[in-house]
Amino acid sequence: MPQVKASPKSYDVIVVGSGAGGGIAAHILTLAGAKVCMLEAGGKYDTAKQSDMFKWNYDAPHRAAGTKAKPFGHYDATLVGGWQVPGEPYTQGPGSDFMWYRARMVGGRTNHYGRISLRMGPYDFKPYSRDGKGFDWPITYDDLAPYYDKAEELIGVFGSQEGLENTPDGRFQPAPAPRAHERIIKRVSDKLKIPCIPSRLAILTKPVNGRRACHYCAECGRACAVNANFASPGVHLKPALATGNLEIRTGAMCREVTVGSDGKATGVSYIDTATRKEVTVNARVVVLAASCCETARIMLNSKSTLFPNGIANSTGLVGKYIMDTVGASVNGYLPILEDLPPANDDGVGGMHMYMPWWLYKEQKAGKMPFARGYHVELGGGRNMPGAGTLGGSHNILGGGYGKGLKRDLRKMYGANVHFAGRGEMIPNDNSFCEIDPNVVDQWGIPVLRFHFKWSDDEILQAKHMQDTFKEIITAAGGRVTGASAPISRGGEIIHEVGATKMGDDPKTSVLNQWCQAWDCKNLFITDAAPFASNADKNPTLSITALGWRTSDYIADQIKKRNL
Amino acid sequence: MDVTRRNLITILGVAPAAAAAQTQGEHAHPTPATPAKKAYVRKIFNDHQWRAVQVLSDLIIPADEHSGSATAAGVPEFIDDWLDFRDREDGNSNLSAGIIGGLAWLDLESNHLFQKDFAVAAAAQQTQILDRIAWPARATAADRRWATFFTRFRDLTVSGFFSSKMGVADLPYLGNKAVGEWKGTDPKVWAVIEERMKNGYKGLGGEVKPWTD
Repeated sequence: MPQVKASPKSYDVIVVGSGAGGGIAAHILTLAGAKVCMLEAGGKYDTAKQSDMFKWNYDAPHRAAGTKAKPFGHYDATLVGGWQVPGEPYTQGPGSDFMWYRARMVGGRTNHYGRISLRMGPYDFKPYSRDGKGFDWPITYDDLAPYYDKAEELIGVFGSQEGLENTPDGRFQPAPAPRAHERIIKRVSDKLKIPCIPSRLAILTKPVNGRRACHYCAECGRACAVNANFASPGVHLKPALATGNLEIRTGAMCREVTVGSDGKATGVSYIDTATRKEVTVNARVVVLAASCCETARIMLNSKSTLFPNGIANSTGLVGKYIMDTVGASVNGYLPILEDLPPANDDGVGGMHMYMPWWLYKEQKAGKMPFARGYHVELGGGRNMPGAGTLGGSHNILGGGYGKGLKRDLRKMYGANVHFAGRGEMIPNDNSFCEIDPNVVDQWGIPVLRFHFKWSDDEILQAKHMQDTFKEIITAAGGRVTGASAPISRGGEIIHEVGATKMGDDPKTSVLNQWCQAWDCKNLFITDAAPFASNADKNPTLSITALGWRTSDYIADQIKKRNL
Repeated sequence: MDVTRRNLITILGVAPAAAAAQTQGEHAHPTPATPAKKAYVRKIFNDHQWRAVQVLSDLIIPADEHSGSATAAGVPEFIDDWLDFRDREDGNSNLSAGIIGGLAWLDLESNHLFQKDFAVAAAAQQTQILDRIAWPARATAADRRWATFFTRFRDLTVSGFFSSKMGVADLPYLGNKAVGEWKGTDPKVWAVIEERMKNGYKGLGGEVKPWTD
């Protein structure tokens, strides 16, 4: 093919993707001495120069309101991406309504994410053994615990030692003190016997590795210009680049993993988005970390005579069992928070307190109508005003206008609270992605078609969330002022995992316990695609720990000349 | 905490530099040190509607001892721009049509009753109409849709005002700056809350009974 430009250099490892999974792989492997070529579909991103930290909503178009192009608002760090990426469509199977968020930029979704960093617990690795649903992981909590320790120390996570069931504590920095609404909600939660503890976020409250501590401007989603929160570019890639062992190619949209006659991966073929030409790059090892569904897409598109169903897909399981997190929320208004002395409520970007799942014993005893749990994320306080500020005031005041209204609105500012449930989805046969037979993207790459369905376990769990939040609001002397849909859409919570599940049987899983493809020994995956379940614990910390463990194994196998 | 004064100065230095770099990138031509504020070009409202929007938004958020009025904070410009934005973002003009239609009804009703457009009616005449539609639960069945219009218009005015620079200072919102040491809830704030927990509190959003543990 005359169009194909072969890269003259050869590398030890190609890493596809630069987010949490690609970042940790490049970080560990380059520090171990491997020559790494990282392929990122999007463009460069420098938080020090491009973060919108400290900008005012009133200086942004439409008071920084979210748009289709920027769903989390004008200043959100996802510069190119969202649930729709121009020129990169995806399609839906009959009756499905899946949303696929992609961030086309160095660092991917780590630039804007919520920094919530919760360890999976012992039950979460063996869910099938516990309640007969879904799948067990091929590893235990004890296998991953040392990597959780290392991951927390590298990225910097604050939290507190609590000793709660299936909610492992970690190597935490001190947690920031709670805001007023969080202290009130804790009081109510204590009464209702719901644990409410300091949250666990990847934001520094003390300096680490030359990174500064947080300055408490509350806008982590805009990316931090001083790297006080975790994001792959400043934490994983900067030290990796300093080794001289990492080359990052941006605008490199991966098409397929190339394969040799021996069935091993030889490298990757990608489209250079600037020239629209195909480029191939070779290496001894290929690590896919393109994000769960994009990784499955690359594998399914990597068809050859040896792999007619896509690389490492002899089981037909690539793309199956995709999971998102169950989401439902309720808004409330707490009069006790009205008309308080003005104070700066900003703090870190996100909640200072949260509620881990607390009904394990009731579930084990068969007293709950659904399997698996959720945690609760809190919102509220005197946030930076933007589009929608103090809207819906008639729900509290009945209506009005004039000086009296203006006076009352001032008193109402900061009295709204928000509860969001984030729960576990059990993998099911109706939720998967596959290659659409007809549609391609602007790079000529066949796109994904999604199929997604919640089961009763998730639907009843989401109902329990909303009922609980209403109970808390009422118990705090407040009023329920609004609620989300009864359950989120698939992909809406942006926690897709599971498309290339790991396991200990090559007949029923795509990857072994090292996230190594059973069918292709020099192909590894370090994003969330290997997850065998999707505990309510947000995936990024587990991606980091599991990716670290996989990368240690790769480095060791390279050293032993097994790869 | 660990942010020393020295660090803090550096932190504060970062954002303005980044902002300046970005501004230069966005504009091809050099900008003067103090650029003249560009006049807003309307996208939705005609001159007649514009006058009504100014009058109505100032009736909702008038000047008081804390801050100026809705028009002083640029609320009519915000609303015009917001309606245009929603038209494009939503792919329909339902919101702008409802607002423009509501403004037309204000004139219709005002002319019926007082033979004057709403914007030039006497203050007592304006409030006579607003009092019918400003409290949705009290509105008659015939006025219900105009109450819905007014609720929408009020929300636009309120969020436009309190998210403006003037509104942010009025509330006040005291954040969006580097804080050296995070101390959690201000003791002054917590003292008020504890007093309310102990004795109960009658608020705008209802009565809070004394808390028992």
